[in-house]
Amino acid sequence: MSKIIAVHSYKGGTGKTLLSVNLAATLAKHGNKVGLFDLDFRAPSLFAILKISNAECWLNDYLNGTCDIDKVLIDLSQRIKTSGNFFVGLANPATEAIRDMSAKDRKWEMRALGRLLSLRNMLLNDKEFDYLVFDTSPGLQYSSINAIVAADFVVVATTSDRSDVDGTSRMLRELYNLFEKKTGLVLNKVLDSSSKAKKDEMNRKVKDVYQVPLLGLVPCFCEILRAEGNFIFAQDKPDHPFTKILDEMTKRIENNEVN
Amino acid sequence: MNKEEILGKKPLQILEKIKENLERLNEKMEVMIELQKHGKKDSQQPFQDASLDVMTLLSMPDHLRKTAMTICRCGRATAEEISQQTTRARAVESAYLNQLVIMGYLKKERKGRKAYFYADRESQG
Repeated sequence: MSKIIAVHSYKGGTGKTLLSVNLAATLAKHGNKVGLFDLDFRAPSLFAILKISNAECWLNDYLNGTCDIDKVLIDLSQRIKTSGNFFVGLANPATEAIRDMSAKDRKWEMRALGRLLSLRNMLLNDKEFDYLVFDTSPGLQYSSINAIVAADFVVVATTSDRSDVDGTSRMLRELYNLFEKKTGLVLNKVLDSSSKAKKDEMNRKVKDVYQVPLLGLVPCFCEILRAEGNFIFAQDKPDHPFTKILDEMTKRIENNEVN
Repeated sequence: MNKEEILGKKPLQILEKIKENLERLNEKMEVMIELQKHGKKDSQQPFQDASLDVMTLLSMPDHLRKTAMTICRCGRATAEEISQQTTRARAVESAYLNQLVIMGYLKKERKGRKAYFYADRESQG
């Protein structure tokens, strides 16, 4: 079963955070107890999307070993209207914190991996969380690879951009395969996926190029751009096609229909 | 305790000790066999303070990475426990684990007749 899900990509701007937030919100909507974690320490963004200005403790503190995970997790179950529970762990957006995180050495990263791995026991087993969703930095960053190693399933967000296609397929071969990770690809910002024939063609193309299963196709929605990060579609726009696509993807993960 | 029991205890302890030493010898031989099998490329000189971070895991040969990844997930385990997860033979895992100890990535601790392996995360740095 895929209980810890990392959302990753080769390049930035592929929609990782959008997917992470909506995936976590949809999982919670389906009645699950969910923890969403901002592991993008170079460019934290969940605090802004979820409109949280301050936290008692940040994920940075947990990874530094100076704070328990209980103090990092913020309960948003009241705000994000779901039948389940929604918790979030935030990365510290202060410039000093970003600088501090980018200057960590290999031994610190090794300890950070240990702390991420122990979340499985602490949250899934002891606190009865159903799912943990990790939003990561793009590319081969220490924090992202730590998240991938700690995860059961990696959602890889990509676009049709040539540089993205090339880098993503290399990353699939040389990163996820080496760690024997289950992966599902989300092709985002697709221009034409209206007809079934077009969708089938895209499906075939993705399988040929990346040799991994396609988790979902997400068309380019101007409404998402217009929302300027002010809405969580899975909650605020239940009838939007994007919400429905996310719903399908989430069900496939919940039903363990991913390779 | 009667006379026979006292006399019988010592030879038994000696036999236990011999068995323990044979097991250690066996493990060392397994490491040597594995080192030869995989050539010199992954039998770097032992070095102190090596950290088992993700970049190190990535650069490891596949057979060692599998063992190292499993120990990362388990935290602390015997060769038997690792072999149950990797579905490889216990002797093979024992050899790989000992190789990782030689390379400085893992620590080994004996408790009675069992050897436990772990990545020493907290004491470094």
